[in-house]
Formats: sequence, structure tokens, C-alpha cells
Amino acid sequence: MFIRQTRALICLLLLLAVACGSGPDEEAVYRHAIDGLPGSLDPAHAGDVYSSTLVVNIFDTLYRYRYLARPYELAPNLAADFPDVSEDGRVVTIRLGEARFADDPAFADGRGRPVTASDVVYSLRRHFDPATRSQGAWLWRDRIVGLDAWGLAGADPQADVAGLQALDDRTVRIELTRPYPQLVNTLAMALSAIVPPEAVAQYGREFSVRPVGSGPFRLLSLDESRAVLAPNPHFDRGTLDLAAEGFDPARHGHYGLEALDGRRYPFLDRLEVHFIAEPASRWNSFFSGRDVDNVMLPPDQAVRVLESTRPLSFRPGIERDFHTHVGQETGLVFYGFNMANPRIGYHEDPERDRANRALRCALRDAFDWDARNRVFYQGLGEVFPGVLPPFLTEHEPALATDSIEHDPAQGRRRLADHGWSTEALPELAYGFESSVERRQMFEQFRAQLGAIGYPPDKVRSAGFASFGEYHRAIINDQIDVFLIGWTLAYPDAQYVLQLFFGPNAAPGANLFNYANADFDAIFGRAESLPPGPERTELYRELNRLVIDDCVIIGSLTRTRLHLWQPRVRMLPDREVLGGFFLRFVGVQEPPA
Amino acid sequence: MSSLVVQSGQRLRAGLVAEPAGFWALVVVVLYAAVAGGVWLGWWGGDWSALAGPGWAGPSADHWLGTNRLGQDILARALAATATAFEIGVLVALTTTAIGGLAGGLAGYSSPGWADEIVLWLMGTLDAIPFYLLVAALAFALHGHAWAMHLAMIATFWTTTARLVRAETQRIRRLPFIEAARVAGLRPRSIIVRHILPNTAHILLVQTTLVFIAAIKVEVVLSFLGIGTQDSISWGVMIAEGSQDILAGQYGNFVVASLFLFGLVMAFSLLADQLQDSLDPRTRDSRWQPHG
Repeated sequence: MFIRQTRALICLLLLLAVACGSGPDEEAVYRHAIDGLPGSLDPAHAGDVYSSTLVVNIFDTLYRYRYLARPYELAPNLAADFPDVSEDGRVVTIRLGEARFADDPAFADGRGRPVTASDVVYSLRRHFDPATRSQGAWLWRDRIVGLDAWGLAGADPQADVAGLQALDDRTVRIELTRPYPQLVNTLAMALSAIVPPEAVAQYGREFSVRPVGSGPFRLLSLDESRAVLAPNPHFDRGTLDLAAEGFDPARHGHYGLEALDGRRYPFLDRLEVHFIAEPASRWNSFFSGRDVDNVMLPPDQAVRVLESTRPLSFRPGIERDFHTHVGQETGLVFYGFNMANPRIGYHEDPERDRANRALRCALRDAFDWDARNRVFYQGLGEVFPGVLPPFLTEHEPALATDSIEHDPAQGRRRLADHGWSTEALPELAYGFESSVERRQMFEQFRAQLGAIGYPPDKVRSAGFASFGEYHRAIINDQIDVFLIGWTLAYPDAQYVLQLFFGPNAAPGANLFNYANADFDAIFGRAESLPPGPERTELYRELNRLVIDDCVIIGSLTRTRLHLWQPRVRMLPDREVLGGFFLRFVGVQEPPA
Repeated sequence: MSSLVVQSGQRLRAGLVAEPAGFWALVVVVLYAAVAGGVWLGWWGGDWSALAGPGWAGPSADHWLGTNRLGQDILARALAATATAFEIGVLVALTTTAIGGLAGGLAGYSSPGWADEIVLWLMGTLDAIPFYLLVAALAFALHGHAWAMHLAMIATFWTTTARLVRAETQRIRRLPFIEAARVAGLRPRSIIVRHILPNTAHILLVQTTLVFIAAIKVEVVLSFLGIGTQDSISWGVMIAEGSQDILAGQYGNFVVASLFLFGLVMAFSLLADQLQDSLDPRTRDSRWQPHG
């Protein structure tokens, strides 16, 4: 009896030992750090990069971007292929591939059902239901026949929308009010992700923290410090084809990605996304080697890892201990003027109007982008004229650079030529979202204006506690000059040029209240054209108009420094790609 | 009353001579006041916002304490911030002393009575609101006005002074010389102003110094948090900048602003202690009798 009990006890201990041995340590776990907290995991509210990072991994979008291809290239995701587009560009037909929602009590038997075309229609229509309070409706407003009217009429779920229909379980038909070549780009954004109506109905507002989708992962837990995800067992997109994803051995050969080629993805047993806003904490968490596996360094911490900035090189110890990647943001930062303010913007008196333009141009001459880049971006940013950043194919490298050159003599001449005396110069309200860095940027801006004789006491600061307050102040014309950061959600110049389109005037995206009939006419033509030389030339013309009218002081695009642990096989990207790359992340198996 | 002031001055002088720490504290405070005066007169610190040199430069003949990230002279900024600290400290200390003294005197003299009830209710209500919440609310209500911080401090700091003066007044008003003044037909306002408040001078003086210190410290904290001074420089702003600089291995801004703040707060605290020791009858002389 005793011997039998002893044997049973030994067996039990052995079993426990085996169970412990196959625990978390042997799981393929990747801990990804991002610098902010997602606002919501409901795709309809996934307007920020933090939400998008999670949403595109929990839900499916119809399209995505190829993992490694640059410039960015679209690829089908849930869609079986690229859409069929009618000759006039107004009817788009999309065939769906096979997919199944993750298991959830919201479904009849708790088992996820297949994704259908009706789900796609529901997910897009939902943005126009006022009850959804969507952050993404602007992407398709006035674009799809009958969709706006359906929302305004009360968003009756039983009513049809002529321009948005499921022809069968696998086919979606979209009829556009006018050609919209960027439609496919919008269908690769987290905002367009496909949601199951059952889960939305069951969880209501809680859907933002209890997401149910058909993406590569499902959410296990979420709190203020991290989200934990596990693979969605129903997700099946075949195997990773590195060549199709744009793999280039010269650029990507040292990241260990080849080991993942031809294997079914996602590769992780567990994905943790950690929200660490404080840069120093993020760095310490990464550098300790015990917490997160990656870090994206802000420029003012570059000194920790860089040997030199020109040419850019990492310190030998950093190169030895970590994987590194230098990327450029798909966005820009620049100053804008409020053109609705007659003191510096449009004026009914043509002579004063010309004088105001000269004043804006003089302010631009006074601003020193090199100093801004050196002080706040460690010289890692790239300054360029206008608003088309270098990553866009429409970017014009040969464009004259006088609009970004620090030329106070030219600024003083402009002021003198148009009769501006020190006393006549208007008081400027400079707005910023309160932070140490933004305040220092203000002080730098104000001091630089001194070079053209602008009295410091005529440049007043207006700090705001939150971005929302700051944004409201811009819209309400309380600010004359403001710093804007704009990230392009898709690689098309239309996304940034819309900021200057007259009908988008504040409270729309055109915060500058820029109103130029020529610009609006050209923009209307350009945005309906498919990509090509004609459209590129029109986009460049629009860029030159913005420069010539001195609507902005700009611009600068920032450099991203990524570091990650050598055991992780990936190439991180938080730009247009958002969080799509996380499905392709693998980790080295621990030694046997 | 004049004899009271003269006697207080004599006691203070004797105390400073007997206690070197208090004397040196006074010297340091006078030095800081001279720095602030120089800034107000435009002798130095006026170019605190100018981009005077290369960023993060070390100490040199041109920039004795180096420059910050933007290339602004750290010494000029620290000197200008001294004036900011004094402006806020003096304004808040004097205003709260005046309000607290009058409100406390009135409440103490009329206790129990409706005036005492009102002052007590007001003090209780204001003390119940978390200070930083009140500042944020006032800043929001005043659309970030430059005086929001001053108003918030005045609105909350006077209550401590008022409580102390109220208690002292309640004690004094029962003394024979107040009874005599009342019998002589003096009106309550005259009794409070001419006979009671002068006998709380030791409290008011010590409270003024304590509020001065508190106002400077709070201003630094609020400026550090971004809800303090708007278009001027403060040690809080410099420390906030310094906390970012430290990540890049630069300590000049942080150390200089912290030392300036430490020096003034330490000196004023020692001076306040000395004032307390010299003027408070309970600590100075157990046989103390009030002067009528």
C-alpha cells in the first residue's frame, strides 16, 4: 500500500515537473512596447496609432500592406484579390476569401462563424449610424451612394443602401458617387475592420474592451499597462511568402526572417503589447532585457545609442547586442497660419492682403529649420519644402528650398517693402499643447523671430492642457500660428493635401482656413485620378501653391530609431503598416 | 502701538545677533531680494529668453553657468526666475496676510456670532477642495490666465492665517485692556484694528514668511506641471526642462534652478524660525503680557 502511494506520488511529481517544463518559458512570447494607451479596441473608434496596432491584429481588414515592400504596397488580406473596378471608376466589386470569427459567447453556439459580405456591409454602414459615434466616417463621407442619407434618415438596419450591398456571401459591391482611387487604402485602415453584428449587439459599449474579430489574434486580457493576445485558432492565411512580402536579402538578410519563410503564421503563442508612455521607462524596460522586447527611441534619447548622426551609425555595443533599424516616419511636422485672421491671413483690402502674405513669408524666412532639427531631433529629421514628405512617390526632391532656408535678411526686406514697422506688426498668439518640449519650441520660435525685428512681447504663448483643447482653440480662431504633426494613414499625397482643400475648412481638417479656388479645382481633379504621372504633377502643383501662398512654415519629417532583442525575428514598423507586422513576428526557439 | 513695533524690532535684532544662523539667513534673503530688484530694474536677467549661444554649452566667460538645450543662458534664466519667485511670493504673502488677518480678527472678535459662522464656513469649504484641483479649475475657468495661479494660492492660503489669528483674537478679547476699550465706547472695528491685530503681529509676521515660502514652492511645482507661469521664466520651468535634459546627460539647468530654490527656501525658513523665536511671546517669554 505504502509503495503504491509512493509510486503515485513520484508519478504526480514527475507529471508536474513535465507540465512546468512546458510552461511559459517555452512559449513563443513577444512583448511589444508602444508609447501610448489605445483609446478603444472598437474599429469604429480606432483613430489613433495605439488602437490601430491592436485592432488590425484582432480584426480583419479587407486589404493590408506588404510586410517588407517599400514604397508601401497594398495586398489583399480578407479580400481574395484586388477589387474589380468599373471603367468609369465608380463601381467597385470585392470578393472575400475565407475567414471565421474567433470563438465567443456572442455567437449562437459559442463558436465563431464564417465572415460574410454582409459583415463587411454592416461594418462600413455602422460608421454612419449616429449611435456609433464613429471616428472614421469621414473616410467615406459623400463617397458611397446613399450611405450618408441612410445615416441621416436614422440608420434603419433593415433599410438598404444602394451603394453598399452584399451580392452574395462572398461579394461586396460598392457604388461611389465619384471615382475614389484611395478607397482600397481606406479599406486597409483599422477603422474599416470587419466586426460581427452579434458581438456589437451583445456587448454594446463594452465592445471597445471585448473585441471579437477574425484577425490573427484574440484578446485574452486588457488593462492600463498591457494587452495580452493569443493566436486565433480559426485564422488561416496560409504560409509566409517572404518574396511576395518584398524581402530583399541586402536590406533584410540580417534579421533572421528567412527562418520564418514558408511557415504558417502567426508564429507566436502569446503576444503582449505593453503601453509605456514615458520614454525613460520604455528604455529601461527594454534595456534591462527582462521586460519588453523592442523600443522606439525618441530623438532626444538618440544620444544613448548613436555613434554619429551624419552618417547615422549606432554604437558598436548597441549593434552587437540588438537588432537595429532606422526608418522615416510617414508624416511631417510644420507650422500653419490661421488664414481667417485678417491680421495675418486674408484681408478684404487687396493691399493689406499682399502685406499679410509678405508678413507670413517673412516669418517663414526668420524660422531656422536647421536649428529646430538640431535641437529637438538630434539632426536626424529631414527638412523639405512644402507638405509632401520624402516617403511619398509624389515628393519632389528638386523643388527649390528657399522656403525652408533661414534668411532673416530676406524677411526684413519683405517687411520693409510692404510697409511693416515694428509698431504695426500684429500681436501673434502661438498655441501649443502644454509640455516642456512644446514650450521650448515656442521660446525658440519667438527668439528666431527677433532676427527680423519681431518684438518678443508681440508673440504670446497659449498653452493648452490637452490636444482636444488645443484643437478647439485652433478651430475657434484663438490661435494665429500653430505646430501641426500629421501622419499619413495611407501612402497617397491626397491624405495630406486635403488639409488645404477649401471645403474642409475648420472645424474640418483644413485648420488653416486656406481658401484658394485654383487649389480646390486642381485638388478636385487630382484626387479622382488613378496613380500616375498626371496625378503626380497635379499633386506637386498643389504643393507649390501652398508654398507660394506662405500658408505654412515647413516641413520636417522625423527619423524613427527601432531597437529589438536579437531573439526576435521581425522588422518593426509603426507607420502606414501600423500593427500588421505583428502577425509575422517570430522568436527563436530556446536551445534544447 | 509704536512702542510695540520698536520693542519687536529690538527683540528681533537681539535675536539675530544671538543666533548667527538667523542673521546669515537674513543676509541671503536680502541678497535674493537684491537679485530680484536688479531684474526689475533691468540690470540683469532681461535676456533670459534669448538664444545666446550653442546648446548645452559648459560654463564659460560668456555663460558663467552654461546654457540650456536651446542655447539660453542658464544664469540669466535663474536670475529672472528669482524675480518671478519674489513677485509671486510677495504678492501672495501680503495679500493672504491682509485677508487672513482681517477675517480671523473679525471672526475671533465676533465669536460666537454670524460673522464667525460665515468665516468658518468659508474656510472649511476652501480647505476641503484639493489645492491642485482648485488651481486646475481656476486655470480652466480663467482660460489659462496668468493670474490663475496667484488667485488659487490667495484663495487657499489665507485660511491658515485666519485660523491662527481667530484663535489668538478669542484669547485677547477677554483680556482687561480690551474690556476697557469696549467700556470706553470704541467701535468693534477700531478695537480690532487698533488693539487686537497689533497684538497678533508676531503671528502675522511669521505667517507672512511661511506663506512666502509656500507660494514659491507651489509656484515651482505648478510651473513644473505646466500650469504655473505662462510667459515668464520660473525655477519650476527650469527644473522641468532639466528633468528632460538629464536623459541626455545634461545637469546644468536642473542643478542651478534647484540650488537657487533651495537657497531661498532654506534662508526664509531659518528666518521664519528666528522670527518665531524672537517675537512669539509663548516661546520668548512666559511672563508675556499683551500691550494695549
